[in-house]
Amino acid sequence: MSAKKGNSKPTATAVIPAPAGASAPTTVLREHAEQQFREELEALARVDDKPRPPRWKLSPWAVATYLLGGTLSDGFVVSPKYIGSRRLIEIAIATLATDRALLLLGVPGTAKSWVSEHLSAAVSGDSTMLVQGTAGTSEEAIRYGWNYAKLLAEGPSMGALVPSPVMRAMGDGKIARVEELTRIPADVQDTLITILSEKTLPIPELGEEVQATKGFNVIATANNRDKGVNELSSALRRRFNTVVLPVPDSADEEVKIVQTRVAALGRALELPAEAPALEEIRRLVTIFRELREGRTTDGKTKLKSPTGTMSTAEAISVVGHGLALAAHFGDGSLRAGDVAAGLVGVVVKDPVQDRAVWQEYLETVVKERDGWKDLYRACRDVS
Amino acid sequence: MPATATKKPSAATGAVHIFGIRHHGPGSARSVRQALKELRPDCVLVEGPPDADELLPLLVHKAMKPPVALLVYAADKPSHAVYYPFAAFSPEWQAIQHALTAKVSVRFMDLPQAHQLLPEDAEPPKIPEPGENGETEGDAVEHQDEPRRDPLGWMAEAAGFSDGERWWEHMVEHRRDGTDLFAAIGEAMTALRAELPRHDDLREDRREAFMRRTIRAAQAGGFQRIAVVCGAWHVPALAAMPSAEHDEAILKGLPTAKVKATWVPWTHGRLTYASGYGAGIESPGWYEHIWKHADHVVPHWLTRVARLLREEDLDASSAHIIETVRLAEALAAMRGQPLPGLAELNEAICTVLCFGDDTPMRLIHRKLIVGEKLGAVPDETPAVPLQQDLTREQKRLKLEPSADFTTEDYDLRKPLDLDRSHLLHRLNLLKVPWGAVEQAGGKKGTFHELWRLQWQPEFAVALIEAGVWGNTIVDAATARTRDLADHAPNLPALTTLLDGALLADLPDAVPYLMRQLESEAALTSDVTHLMDALPPLANVLRYGDVRKTDTTMIGHAVRGIVARICVNLPLACGSLDNDAAAQMFEHILKVDAAIGLLQDDAMRREWQDVLHRLADRPGLHGLIQGRACRLLLDAGEFDAEEAAKRLSLALSVASDPTQAAGWIEGLLKGSGLILLHDDALWDVLDGWVASLSAEAFLPVLPLVRRTFSTFHAPERRQTGERARRGSAKKTSMTTSAADFDVARAEAVLPLVAKLLGIPLDLKSSPSPESKP
Repeated sequence: MSAKKGNSKPTATAVIPAPAGASAPTTVLREHAEQQFREELEALARVDDKPRPPRWKLSPWAVATYLLGGTLSDGFVVSPKYIGSRRLIEIAIATLATDRALLLLGVPGTAKSWVSEHLSAAVSGDSTMLVQGTAGTSEEAIRYGWNYAKLLAEGPSMGALVPSPVMRAMGDGKIARVEELTRIPADVQDTLITILSEKTLPIPELGEEVQATKGFNVIATANNRDKGVNELSSALRRRFNTVVLPVPDSADEEVKIVQTRVAALGRALELPAEAPALEEIRRLVTIFRELREGRTTDGKTKLKSPTGTMSTAEAISVVGHGLALAAHFGDGSLRAGDVAAGLVGVVVKDPVQDRAVWQEYLETVVKERDGWKDLYRACRDVS
Repeated sequence: MPATATKKPSAATGAVHIFGIRHHGPGSARSVRQALKELRPDCVLVEGPPDADELLPLLVHKAMKPPVALLVYAADKPSHAVYYPFAAFSPEWQAIQHALTAKVSVRFMDLPQAHQLLPEDAEPPKIPEPGENGETEGDAVEHQDEPRRDPLGWMAEAAGFSDGERWWEHMVEHRRDGTDLFAAIGEAMTALRAELPRHDDLREDRREAFMRRTIRAAQAGGFQRIAVVCGAWHVPALAAMPSAEHDEAILKGLPTAKVKATWVPWTHGRLTYASGYGAGIESPGWYEHIWKHADHVVPHWLTRVARLLREEDLDASSAHIIETVRLAEALAAMRGQPLPGLAELNEAICTVLCFGDDTPMRLIHRKLIVGEKLGAVPDETPAVPLQQDLTREQKRLKLEPSADFTTEDYDLRKPLDLDRSHLLHRLNLLKVPWGAVEQAGGKKGTFHELWRLQWQPEFAVALIEAGVWGNTIVDAATARTRDLADHAPNLPALTTLLDGALLADLPDAVPYLMRQLESEAALTSDVTHLMDALPPLANVLRYGDVRKTDTTMIGHAVRGIVARICVNLPLACGSLDNDAAAQMFEHILKVDAAIGLLQDDAMRREWQDVLHRLADRPGLHGLIQGRACRLLLDAGEFDAEEAAKRLSLALSVASDPTQAAGWIEGLLKGSGLILLHDDALWDVLDGWVASLSAEAFLPVLPLVRRTFSTFHAPERRQTGERARRGSAKKTSMTTSAADFDVARAEAVLPLVAKLLGIPLDLKSSPSPESKP
């Protein structure tokens, strides 16, 4: 795959497509997807003659085209937002169409939030009904809060109630997004159960309830490496269809992602270093992929995987770190020694287990590979 | 009369009804069965090898349980063979069964394998795949190949279905008339064949010519309603009959080989291979399901999936199943298909039931989509080639099967005995335990093998069962070994298997086993497994073994294993109790011996680095630390002074007594005799004891005594005597290579070699230069 993610998090795979068409100049640092790609959405709506589920802005087919790109019957070209498996996107859209909630799982940097934002932009034309999950997310953030001044002045009423994005989405029949679901404490997570199964949100203080309008649904994202943090209760998990977004498919794609991101990074940090040699990046990506997949690229040898994610984003940071070292302490060009320190730091997250994994890898794979001697020595030095 | 695909236009008597089917297609099977019931033909012709015509009646035998395969093989070279697999849902199977039940004539009509399995072919046409001989045709072949092999599946795909069977079902369901369908298929295939560029393939032309000839023969035989069941692709070729002379010209002068045919049991797993009809199917279990459940395919399937998951303690409630059905249908609708196929079901199962995790999906694939069904054939089935191969081998090796016990002593230096040993080992791998190796007594060398032979009647059955693995003993043993390797639970099991493969001389299985072994070694978290695996491998590597095994593969694996042991051993040695430490002690000894055997400097250095770390690491069990120190002393890494320093450090008053006792036990365990004769070790111990003051000696005495009490009484006595003699050190002669006369020493070597019974290379070059 290669995909992109829109929010401010640094990401491995963000290759933001150029906005389609000339939108009015804006002072906003980052536009919402439905604003940035307004023209594409309008073009799709124009040609879309397939049946639409209630309150959907586009048919499922058009939503898939919006995400995966394509040329419309009137010749309009839709840029791809997610480059990867078509089947996964189809499953995600079909899930939303069956009124089951969608859970996007994946290691960091696999475009979960990006896909979630664009799905809601295409389905509801609104990607702003967002709850960011943190350890401090409270029940009010998912259900509703109170405007205490009004509450004291007027007593409990709908007017004194502060609806959450989820509650607003229910009323408007739109998609609500919950980011990093597994970071939310378990008891707060479970407030979603009623919303997802009964499609209603009771307000006991007023003796009322908000019932979901057709078109309402929830897209949650979660990091499947953080499973242990606040694992979903099985009751909640049962309400979700789970789609796992994978890491990049081919080494070439990943090399390209790392290269473009590192180039951008180097510019931003104004490092005087030369652009890193493709060879060095290729080598690094190979190491990342091999450890991640637990086998060598020739498919002949199995390997143990370290506990860390070994994501593309980390590969980028290793190269960035190496560039900084090369620029300030080396001769300006990226050498094995410059990446070694960062590399070991990324691989060895657990000082006991990961170290053994890494040393095994060094001794059985890196050592024997032609032309990797420098890297082997450099890694042994820092290990 | 129901609608027919084609009526014979000529003046001939019999009407021909052609049923174009999809090989192994349950939908086709159902339609064919229905059509035959209505047609009530008096002759059924089925695409298949006429060489096996006389075996057809066995198909309705009570003991016949599909999946089975028709095996056609060259009589003089059984490895030259073709399999025609059948499952219950194969249309061919259903057609033959119908004919046999209705007691009407049934025969195969494809080009006989007698014309195809020619001994001079280097590569037997195992997979009759059109276009495989056309190397020059480039891309065109790829495009043509697909529709040719599975034209209906291809058309289904063109119609937007992910699964040819669902398409068939869909078509039949909507037409409500199975027989009409075959006319439509005939038309579609005619159009398809007209569209695709003509692809010259002599073999293909011959096959179709032969089919037409068979049809003519049936007509000449006076049959009135002839049903022809063949792959859809052939329908147009059989519908438009050219003149008989045209076909005879094509078939003229075909060379003929002697072939034999038999039924062999088959498995669902093997149905996934392409063979015989050339169409391997990816999902026999799914097809069988479709065959068994004509209605409500999806709910039944998902219920089975859910039950399987529950057996594995995974949550799968009815609510899950409902949601899965809904998602699968939504997916199918999104993709513009009227029915969800296997692809949609799998995706829905993965998303809803498995929470996006593909590990349970692999289980579902293995247990349900492929299925683990094993077929059976009746006892009357002609002998399988494997059996014949065994008979040939028995004759060649002069090994008569006997129901009585016999004991044989094979000298593996003799080619005949070596071959016998190989055969018996191979049979053991095939679960035909004709012979068992008796543990040879101490007097025998590695080149002797003592066998206890007894032939049991059940072995005949076991051989038929083993027929699924291959047609010769070697092939079958290789295939079975590889299969066992795929299912080996852990590293020791693989090592045992490798041992067996080496003994049985299966050169094709060894590389595969080594790969598996390396993978398993990479993943095993139990370093003792690795340590167990090393010594036998090192043995084979060092001595190559009398059996002349190729050892380059093993060398690579051994290096990997040593590297892994070295990385993981220090971790594994942490926090061991007494029992575990004693076991680890043995493991370390074995690995050290193995590494000594390998005589590889890089590996030895790596190993010694680890021993250094063990010796230096605080908090390790004394037994391990003491032995690490001893091994380094033996290897000359530590000099006597260093070892003595460590000894006194370990036995210092401040040390924990049990730790100290363990240390000295580790240093000396089992070495009572060595202590007497190894000056270095003696010096260390002697020097240390002498350096102790009387006050210091008393506290350590019990510790030392604990170890010494494990020595034999004579050893203890001699130790005491030697200590009394004090510094009279030179009890053993030390010799160095420079000291003796090489030429004179070599003069006795031939005699020594003769006594030991080993071949001597020196004979060829008796010059003393071979000695450094």
